Amino acid sequence: MGKRISRRSFIKGAAAAGVVLAAGSYFTWNGKNIPEAVKQGDAIYDVLIIGSGGAGMRAALAAAANKDLKVAVMTKLIPTRSASTMAQGGMNGVTGVTDPADTVESHAFDTIKGGDYLSDQDAVEFFAERAGKNIYEMDFMGYPYNRQSDGSFHQRKMGGSSHARAAYFEDRAGHAMVHTLFEQCLKNDIDFISECQMLEICREEGKLQGVIAMDMRSGNIMGIPAKTVLIATGGYGRAYWIRTSNPYSSTGDGIVAGMKLGIPFKDPEMVQFHPTGLAANGVLLSESSRAEGALLVNKNGERFMAKYAPAKMELATRDIVAQAIATEIEQGRGIGEGIHAGVYMDFTKIPPSRIQERLGQVYDLSRRFAGVDITKEPVLISPTCHYSMGGLEMTDFHTGATRIPAVFTAGECSCVSIHGANRLGANSLSEVLVFGHVAGDGAAAYAKEHAYEGSQDVLSGACSKWMDHFDSVTSRTRIEGRTVPEIRDAMVDTMWFKVGVFREEGQLQQASQELRALEQDYAHCYVGDSSHVYNTAFEQYVEVGNLLQISHAIVQGAIARKESRGGHSRRDYPKRDDVHFLKHTLIFQENGKYRTEYKNVVLTKYPPKERKY
Amino acid sequence: MDVTLEIHRFVEDRKWIQKYTLTVKTGMTVLEALTEIKEKQDPTLSFTCSCRSSICGACAVRVNGNAELACEMLVDKLMKRYDTNTLTVEPLGNFRVIRDLIVDWDPKYARIKKIKPALQPKAEFTAETGCKQSPEDFDKYKKYAGCILCGSCVSECNKNTLDQKDFLDPFVFVKAEKLVADSRERSPEEHLKAVVDAGLWRCFNCQECTAKCPKDLDPAGAIEKLKAATFKYKIEETVGAKHAKAIYEDIEESGTLDESKLNIKSEGLLMSALRAPMAFRLMKVGKLNPMDKHPVNPEISTIQKIVKTAEKEEE
Repeated sequence: MGKRISRRSFIKGAAAAGVVLAAGSYFTWNGKNIPEAVKQGDAIYDVLIIGSGGAGMRAALAAAANKDLKVAVMTKLIPTRSASTMAQGGMNGVTGVTDPADTVESHAFDTIKGGDYLSDQDAVEFFAERAGKNIYEMDFMGYPYNRQSDGSFHQRKMGGSSHARAAYFEDRAGHAMVHTLFEQCLKNDIDFISECQMLEICREEGKLQGVIAMDMRSGNIMGIPAKTVLIATGGYGRAYWIRTSNPYSSTGDGIVAGMKLGIPFKDPEMVQFHPTGLAANGVLLSESSRAEGALLVNKNGERFMAKYAPAKMELATRDIVAQAIATEIEQGRGIGEGIHAGVYMDFTKIPPSRIQERLGQVYDLSRRFAGVDITKEPVLISPTCHYSMGGLEMTDFHTGATRIPAVFTAGECSCVSIHGANRLGANSLSEVLVFGHVAGDGAAAYAKEHAYEGSQDVLSGACSKWMDHFDSVTSRTRIEGRTVPEIRDAMVDTMWFKVGVFREEGQLQQASQELRALEQDYAHCYVGDSSHVYNTAFEQYVEVGNLLQISHAIVQGAIARKESRGGHSRRDYPKRDDVHFLKHTLIFQENGKYRTEYKNVVLTKYPPKERKY
Repeated sequence: MDVTLEIHRFVEDRKWIQKYTLTVKTGMTVLEALTEIKEKQDPTLSFTCSCRSSICGACAVRVNGNAELACEMLVDKLMKRYDTNTLTVEPLGNFRVIRDLIVDWDPKYARIKKIKPALQPKAEFTAETGCKQSPEDFDKYKKYAGCILCGSCVSECNKNTLDQKDFLDPFVFVKAEKLVADSRERSPEEHLKAVVDAGLWRCFNCQECTAKCPKDLDPAGAIEKLKAATFKYKIEETVGAKHAKAIYEDIEESGTLDESKLNIKSEGLLMSALRAPMAFRLMKVGKLNPMDKHPVNPEISTIQKIVKTAEKEEE
């Protein structure tokens, strides 16, 4: 048979003539992911931001508006790979553009009610006041808003909101936001320190020294001196690993580093579960599935929502539907075993044309990951961890400050708290913009008034400690211990079945013990890769170590909160208890132990009421 | 059913191809296969990934010579497409490889910066009051706002394989067209000039980028739109633009190409003179005769009508 030459291989041949074919030859490595000065060790940053999602990049733009300050954004990936890009719905903010009847008070109230009254109301008022301004500002930066006929951005109404106030780009609101901010960062020549895994924030004798990080490409462990550090590393959904809609990178690195400095982890038990993740892998099937008429059915073919929410059925709120599904599975009316067990979501009563028109993404995801054509058969779903309401305690929402001087925080890794016990759709993107901005300004103001107090010696001491650690961890053999993924999977079994949608004292106590045992395993686990170049196995070792500590704090917070509120649902304490628990949980980590304190919720003019929709 | 992945490995200057065999499960994506290998067979295999729902762009790799987003491409679909149980997985082409399937994005950022990648809003807009734009104007660029910077488009770009220095990556052109077509932009010319300087007219038009884009953004189409915009904004003093114009004039006047003058019109008399040896060779084999009178197509009036219709369509 003759060999046919396609147009493509013809052009390829022509292109390759006289040049070495790139695929065949690797180049000598000379990375520019880190500014030269950082490599030399003589850059002292005024503001060093950890995390390049919406909060990190918004903070960088704010801080870098002070031209005399040295600002950098560090990320373990590269700048546009963050969890923020995954946000779909939009960003809330009162502008009155689409719905002139909307008010800042209404936004504040919706947020507080949605949060089951665990939000700090003064912070929410501040947030609602500023959220609308951010929408205009993003327009000016080039955000590609969907428009309405008068030329303004269009706003849509999201679940739990009483007005249309979420501005958006199609169903990719977060993606558009991240890329718009990234363009602005490129324009303003912001320093990026890319592909560096943060290992530790270094502080000694009350003085902030800087950040210890591993350059993934060279394996070098660097100390980066900084006057202020702004933690913007995102949430901790990966504590539930396969049962989360979060990216692989949401491992709570910054929260753990912050806890080690003495910043409490506020409300860690407040985790939001979305009812309809694919049972196969936790990927989210949009809320619009149920809005368009998809039915939830158990093993016996019953529409079980009739038992839990007879009036609203499938259209009840996220937490109620998630709890109903979890109950069905627990009581043996689910389909499948273990972590992949689920119930059916049935689209077959919806005309195929409407599925194609309005649920294109749901159709694609079901087809791809579950091998199911939803126009013909039902797809298996179960709840999936969607958002972390808890995070590092922010003590001043006007500056993003924490209780540790020179350390600031913003975004999902922080707890302001505006989301309280449950976040409303489209409030997270607004949060990262409002508080990213605030924290960037706050850190910049602090840096202007303070000198660098740390010392290079302290930093290099910390670096050599980590280098030794790297060597000892990566040189272990397989016989010595379980692999990192094995430990992680065991952790997820504990977290999903004992600290999942429902919680109960005995199971929580057991979870705590199981996590302790896993920490022992972790101490001599097998990493399996000793290369210094882009060692993702070591990176995963660090991340799983962080997730174990995060999980412990979640369990600790869940044990202490003997009530049900928002995302935290106790079988043994099914009612909200405002007498004892109108309080934030504060988990401190001290020498591997976890200590719990409480802090009163700040109330202004919204007295707690029963939450009904 | 089993699949064997032949993965191009590269660790610390050592280069080899390693085979891994695993069982294909329902809904198993290339990324899941890679993850299973890393977790169950070989922890040293390295790749990057983040969102696993085709929006962050971290996991693009090359399978059997074509760029794919690992998190959305199913293994069994590829096995069917290539009718094989063995798939070759490589890092993206036209990138520097750091390790295994991980590639270097830094030079790409430097290239994005060349086109002044941020919106410069018109004077009537402010940060306090935002901008105005009709839904129709929004439609003109919204597609290009969907780029996820995964790098699939440049992986098989033939112009980039030949020489990256005088050209950009297709995704950079996509970003440029997004800005040029955005009615909020004060100075599309600035982005356009930068794009022309960076090699707009050097595209081979091979359509590999359009074939590979997992978001169907049609980067090659964006490049064509940018070229068209250079005429609208009168940035025509380039060889490419003059070449396009010369072809247009020939077709409109005679319905045929006058190849003997095409080069002079595009490159100018001086640069064309340097090509004299080539012209002599062509004359020698009878492919070029300067004495010939340029023929006019007998169907010239029909051709002119087609050109007019096409122009109206464009408007």
